[in-house]
Amino acid sequence: MRSKKYENLNLLIYVFPALFVYIAFKMFPAASGLFYSMTNWNGINKTYNFIGLTNFIDLVSDSYFWQSVVFTCKYVAVMLVIANITALGIAVAIESLPRFKGLYRTVYYMPNMISMVIGGYMWRFIFHKVLYYMADNWGWSFLDQSWVGDTRYAFISIIIVAAWGAVGYLMIIYLAALQGVPAALKEASSLDGANAWQSFWNVTFPSILPALSICLFWTLNSAFQVFDVVYSLTGGGPGRATQSVAMNIYEEAFKGNIRYGYATAKSTVLFIIILIITAVQLRVMRKRGDE
Amino acid sequence: MKTGKRTYLIIINTFLILAGIYTLFPLLLALSNSFKTNGELLGNVVSLPKQLHFENYIRTLEKMNYLSTLGNTVFTAGISVFIMVLFSGVAGWKLCRTKTKLSNFLYSMFVFSMLIPFSSIMIPLYKVILGFRIENSLLGLSFVYSGLGVSMALFLYHGFVKGIPLELEEAASIDGCRPLQIFFLIVFPLLRPITATICITNILWVWNDFLLPLIVLSDNKKYTLLLSTNTLFGQYSSDWTAILSALILAALPVIVFYAVFQKHIIKGIADGAVKG
Amino acid sequence: MKKMKKVLCLLISACLAFTLAACGTSGSGAPAPTSNTPASANTDVSAPSNEAPVRSAELTIMMSFSSFMEQWETYCRQFEAKVLAEDKIELKINLEMPSSDMYDSILQARMTGSDAPDLYTIHSNNIGVYTEAGNLTNLSGEALAGKIFENVKNTVTVDGNLMAVPIESQAWAVLYNKAMFADAGVTPPNTLDELKEVCAKLKDKGYTPFMLAYQEQWVPQLMTALTLGGKVTGDVPDWLTRMYKGEASYEEMRDIFEVINLIMENGTSRAMEQGAEVGAAEFANGAAAMFVQGTWASNTIMTTNPEMQLGVLPLPVNNNPNCTLVNLSTSTVLGVYPNSTEKDLALKFANYVLDDNDSAALFQSCGFNPLATSHKYEVSSWVADAYKYVEDGRAYQDLILPSSVTDEQGKLMQELYVGSVTPDEIIERLNKVFQDANKLSQ
Repeated sequence: MRSKKYENLNLLIYVFPALFVYIAFKMFPAASGLFYSMTNWNGINKTYNFIGLTNFIDLVSDSYFWQSVVFTCKYVAVMLVIANITALGIAVAIESLPRFKGLYRTVYYMPNMISMVIGGYMWRFIFHKVLYYMADNWGWSFLDQSWVGDTRYAFISIIIVAAWGAVGYLMIIYLAALQGVPAALKEASSLDGANAWQSFWNVTFPSILPALSICLFWTLNSAFQVFDVVYSLTGGGPGRATQSVAMNIYEEAFKGNIRYGYATAKSTVLFIIILIITAVQLRVMRKRGDE
Repeated sequence: MKTGKRTYLIIINTFLILAGIYTLFPLLLALSNSFKTNGELLGNVVSLPKQLHFENYIRTLEKMNYLSTLGNTVFTAGISVFIMVLFSGVAGWKLCRTKTKLSNFLYSMFVFSMLIPFSSIMIPLYKVILGFRIENSLLGLSFVYSGLGVSMALFLYHGFVKGIPLELEEAASIDGCRPLQIFFLIVFPLLRPITATICITNILWVWNDFLLPLIVLSDNKKYTLLLSTNTLFGQYSSDWTAILSALILAALPVIVFYAVFQKHIIKGIADGAVKG
Repeated sequence: MKKMKKVLCLLISACLAFTLAACGTSGSGAPAPTSNTPASANTDVSAPSNEAPVRSAELTIMMSFSSFMEQWETYCRQFEAKVLAEDKIELKINLEMPSSDMYDSILQARMTGSDAPDLYTIHSNNIGVYTEAGNLTNLSGEALAGKIFENVKNTVTVDGNLMAVPIESQAWAVLYNKAMFADAGVTPPNTLDELKEVCAKLKDKGYTPFMLAYQEQWVPQLMTALTLGGKVTGDVPDWLTRMYKGEASYEEMRDIFEVINLIMENGTSRAMEQGAEVGAAEFANGAAAMFVQGTWASNTIMTTNPEMQLGVLPLPVNNNPNCTLVNLSTSTVLGVYPNSTEKDLALKFANYVLDDNDSAALFQSCGFNPLATSHKYEVSSWVADAYKYVEDGRAYQDLILPSSVTDEQGKLMQELYVGSVTPDEIIERLNKVFQDANKLSQ
């Protein structure tokens, strides 16, 4: 039995390269970010003052920030439902097909390969040119909306594009889970006289619950940080109508008054939100593991 | 029963085809319009191009410095993932095999930090980058990526190593293998499935990442594909044919990559998600 | 122990890889095949090797002119040649042009590190902030100071010191299509009532009076800039000073909403889907008779439709003709970083931008307006139009608002257009943003 000390030393040697890049490029910046959140640094000046929790107190009465939090929550809620139902629906449909499974799967996953910046610009073309063309020339007047400009429709557009980017990924996870459902169970249930709907709810659904919770939390986590889609589609507009928390932080740090310290305070709050979600997630998962 | 089955298939296929149209709609429209002249595009955006105008592409290829930016992107993605796999593989294995308080602490620290949003570390990270004098360096950028991605990779390796029986390593150790030999000759080959997953997810991440190269690389010669595409938007914001051809060119390499490694990619993504 | 040795070997090679990476920018021996040139001007290149007959040097210049990339590249090459001939220095200029929407953030990030560019462009409104942060060199003593026109010079002066080289300076207001005006039998209006009449007559002839392109927030913001400028200069000259003291309110500016509503009601549709460039192109193709947009858009307009008869008219705010003014402002300026390692060359470049021989050609090819004695060239008719108003005293100096207020105005104009705020709410919100900015600057 070697001593603990030796073991630890040995461990550190092997972990060192990973630890080094990790501390240099992640932990240290994160810690100093936390420090800046307690200063009034504007990102340019060479000097700044330590102002304690003032930034966090200001935050409480910052209506634009809370407005962006509300928008983000709305976005998260809608994405949770729409993206997951669509993805699960597609996965179940594909799985039930005798043929062409691979083809469909390939097609649906395609958008995930492309950067959302690129995807966002492609959709911008659709919203700026194509839909109007259809409205003007094909008489599809329901398409004649201000897809990016109107507050309501801008939200729908963002969901359309975000779902476009997320469904493929979620579908892959659901598909993997569905393939793991033992065929014997399904057969047994249909022998018992259950119809397709009943057998889905009684047999399939319980066995894909772990995948469901993975997908739900993945959506939660990524949706809370949404930036790319909003940035490339509406830029947060009209006004601040579609400004997400990440965009609000970005604006605070780089536009207008350039309050970098204040912006890091905001991102600390975002981090705490994500931390809470994850804590809940871990608890739910563990509970399920115990059962 | 049989007709019931058929109607069911028709309904399901219709649903799937509609979803497929939604998926491919922007890609196909971008593709078809990128071959038109500007006048043709403004006249009719949904028709197929009357004639394939490759001029847009030739112009965009030149404006984007396509080959060199593509090379930059491949280099960055490749080196980042190589470093990440090497560092986190060794570390994840050793962390899993060592049962001390320190190993527990380090492991939890790595896992915990997976939650830190990028936006909160952006500016301090840039200061670190300047401190190392690796701004405008693709190799430096790769190290930054490996630092950002190492915790996730380590987490996956750690989980996977748990499932490898310790006896194998012990046997090798008795045969006189040194620890690193054990890792590279015995453990690492067994980690192949999870390594594939890590490579695929991270290559895609680095390839499609926009914000980090945007702040690190300001020298046009070092630009990655997304950056040079973005620059083009600024210059041709009213010329959709130029923009669309640039979008297609930017998406092309990943689409080809996808076409070739489709099975592995989808499997890798599913594994990564389920274990992550 | 043997095992340890092996481990150490790995460790050392890992560290080595690191050090190499860290030195990746210092020239020779860089492991990255793509980083074979020193990336930053701060890398010490001043030590001359004995064999070389000339010293070599590097300048990093960061500019927000991505649409004039070629012109500036050419100008930099000319400067390199000039330096080689005059000072025997082999100069290499790294011209960096990040995309315009990220320009400020990139510049800011570079400023915070030790990697500030030797020269960089900013918006003239930010001169104050950058001066205070110690990021701009005082250029009062340079030769260029004597060349800049007095009214332009005022816009780049802080506390009596010249802090930047003006590059883009313009007199601008509303662009209009002279052919359509002639066809409808109308002339540029001097009062709001006349503007209403112009709109009516244009509509009778089947023309849409105003081009609206509100996708990018800075475009609708131009309406607030013009109307506030006119109203303040003509009616309440001390408004801005009092705003900075916290003693005034946007309530006094309520007039501006009448004309803004008039524009929105008489504008083209789908404004939120039109970017500035697309808007300019459509305006050139005859979509509307007027466009609240600066002369900087003339490039796009004239390439889209070379036949276009472009004019500039001041925007009436109310029925006081003294409020109907054009805006005289400086937008982009070039600053010199005080701690530049090649400051002499950086200053030389700053002077070269207004060079007696070469500057005129550069400014003309970019479509910039003349702003120094070295710029003796014929300007296009619409620019001449606008400067005619300046000569007649019908111009105002751009109001310098806190940039958060300017941003807010753009956002609120979008919201006003889509109907999610009322003028009362706008007044209230702008007052608040202004107060917040005042609080921060104390």
